[in-house]
Amino acid sequence: MSDIPKADELFKSIDYNPPTTGWMETPVDFSPGHWCYPAKPEKIEYMDSKLPGLWGPAREWLPSNDDWKLPPNWKEIVVNGFRERLKKFRTLQVYMDICVRCGACADKCHYFIGSGDPKNMPVLRAELMRSVYRGEFTLAGKILGNLTGSRVMEEDVLKEWFIYFYQCTQCRRCSLYCPYGIDTAEMTMMARELMHLVGLNTNWIMEPVANCNITGNHLGIQPHAFKDIVDFMVDDIEEVTGRKVKAPLNEHGHEILFITPSGDVFADPGIYTFMGYLLLFDYLDLDYTLSTYASEGGNFGSFTNNEVMKKLNAKMYAEAERLGCKWILGGECGHMWRVVHQYMDTMNGENQWSGMTTPKSPITGTVFETSAATKMLHITEFTSDLIKHNKLKLDPSRNDHLRVTFHDSCNPARGMGLLEEPRYVLKHVCNNYFEMPEGTTREQTFCCAGGAGLNTDEIMEIRLRGGLPRGNALRYVQEKHGVNLMACICAIDRATLIPLADYWAPGVGISGVHELVANALVLEEGEVRTMDMRQEPLPGFEDEDDDWTPPNMEDA
Amino acid sequence: MTFDTVLAEQKARLAKGWAELILRTYPKETQKVWTRQRDRFQNPVGAAILEATGDLMNLVIDWKDAKEIAASLDRLIRIRAVQDFSPSQAIGFVFLLKKLIRDEFFKAMEKDGTLADLLRFEARIDNLALMSFDIYTKSRDEVFRLRVEEVKRSQSNLLKRAGMILDVTADQSAD
Repeated sequence: MSDIPKADELFKSIDYNPPTTGWMETPVDFSPGHWCYPAKPEKIEYMDSKLPGLWGPAREWLPSNDDWKLPPNWKEIVVNGFRERLKKFRTLQVYMDICVRCGACADKCHYFIGSGDPKNMPVLRAELMRSVYRGEFTLAGKILGNLTGSRVMEEDVLKEWFIYFYQCTQCRRCSLYCPYGIDTAEMTMMARELMHLVGLNTNWIMEPVANCNITGNHLGIQPHAFKDIVDFMVDDIEEVTGRKVKAPLNEHGHEILFITPSGDVFADPGIYTFMGYLLLFDYLDLDYTLSTYASEGGNFGSFTNNEVMKKLNAKMYAEAERLGCKWILGGECGHMWRVVHQYMDTMNGENQWSGMTTPKSPITGTVFETSAATKMLHITEFTSDLIKHNKLKLDPSRNDHLRVTFHDSCNPARGMGLLEEPRYVLKHVCNNYFEMPEGTTREQTFCCAGGAGLNTDEIMEIRLRGGLPRGNALRYVQEKHGVNLMACICAIDRATLIPLADYWAPGVGISGVHELVANALVLEEGEVRTMDMRQEPLPGFEDEDDDWTPPNMEDA
Repeated sequence: MTFDTVLAEQKARLAKGWAELILRTYPKETQKVWTRQRDRFQNPVGAAILEATGDLMNLVIDWKDAKEIAASLDRLIRIRAVQDFSPSQAIGFVFLLKKLIRDEFFKAMEKDGTLADLLRFEARIDNLALMSFDIYTKSRDEVFRLRVEEVKRSQSNLLKRAGMILDVTADQSAD
């Protein structure tokens, strides 16, 4: 045994510590998995033909290559663009100057909490931009350089921006804790605008932007295909409820235009929420229409630059005017509401046609003064008002197989303060409702880690670690209360929370709020349902299909 | 006194030492924040490290319940499998327990001539490493499965529309 100590020596030679260099010097990993795929050149060419001068060169490039094929004068473009935006957006100038690096935000970002990467601390992520601001635009920074934490714009810095400003979902949780109210999301927006100027972009954002500009929705679904898909859902609703619902498309002269994210039309499980809207509106005999052009509530322009955000948003009022609708009802979407609530009136308010009025529920007579500026009402406000006035006959026991919690989507919660309405609806359509722990919900909600254009599969690890804080809180109510469903009011959530729950709290499903409304809605006295909107048997009807024999197996 | 008894007496201190070593696999700024923040919902990684090392110390000393050990390892590895670690870094935290135990006991046990007890105990840590390899691989497989399923799900209605999915039901079946 005397030769054993050698192993001890060997062990001592192993370095257990990560590099101790300061954050500015720690190199960034550009291997695949750390970035979203860049945009296809044809998408950039197309957008450049519509909104010229915002996109840099259209080209094939890969972040894992050394050469990102930047334009030769990229530095001048970025620095000038920065200067221009400092003048144009007062907030940016203020945010650059007032941060005292107190660190209140340091541990508030879901990406930092999940990854432990200090550059994901909001203060340091913003510092990626602020250090350049000091180096390029302040006298002290120019003279004293590194002493003031200043950097000039170099290629390494720009590349670092690309990695870290695409690891921010613009969820604004950090802003909630900032004593100065610095909105890091707006800084991310600015950094992304500047990167677009020199052609740094991602396909998961730019393809939907280009599609949206042509067809009105992210997937480029054309009107006839949109109609086919809606017809499918009408059939499915009939299968579940026996009721053939109306689904008016592009019809003129209705009071209300209904706009929802296209994710609800084509993707699981959003489609069940969409069926929920259709069923509810038919039950109410609501005077409304859908539009195949304003067929997307989402606005990926808001992840790109303010010019595209404005252009894509404009179709909402344009369609309201074309179809002669008085006000707009909006579905369960996240960043659509951020754009509507915070930017729409400023960007496109002047494009409201003269016939638009403050939303007034035709069923209850409630006038929604909070929507007076935009003329656009959130569906959970509409539905909770119906419930409050006893206008819906509900049988929450149809959701008794579900033990439900609610994920506050960042944009409706922090972006517009919509906290009570979805809970009010859920508590009336479900008997088993449980809150996740304090500090993880309402204004302090943890992001799904797929917002702001990051819901793409090539960065699944980044999303999963960013989703850890939400998953951890979910796991807790799963273990404590047997929660098996997390409801939410955002289409990106409905997509991205599925893998998040699968990984961190396996066994918990995801749904929209109006899917559960549709389950509970009693269409007429004595109506009996045997299955839910997903065509899964309701409790007590599990055996209905047991006598079914697969085709070709009768004689087996 | 057996080595297990010695370890059992000091298990709280040892678990804490192990947790500190694991924390040191993260950058310095992060260590500070994760040591300070005690709320398990605001600091899930810090909490998982503290809780898993505490549980595992008990379980490794008892050395009875493989299922429980796997569950505790899973708590940490599931996290480290999606953080920016290489596979060896992700599960290397197991060997930090070996380092800790050697730093603490090696010299004294060498003097007493009881190194064989230490080696016996280290075999358990080697076992932990093998289990960790399985759990890490399973976690990574899950990540890839989630990617594939997400792509399928996002297109489901379009595939249906394009007639690429045949939805066989009893009513519509021609057989």
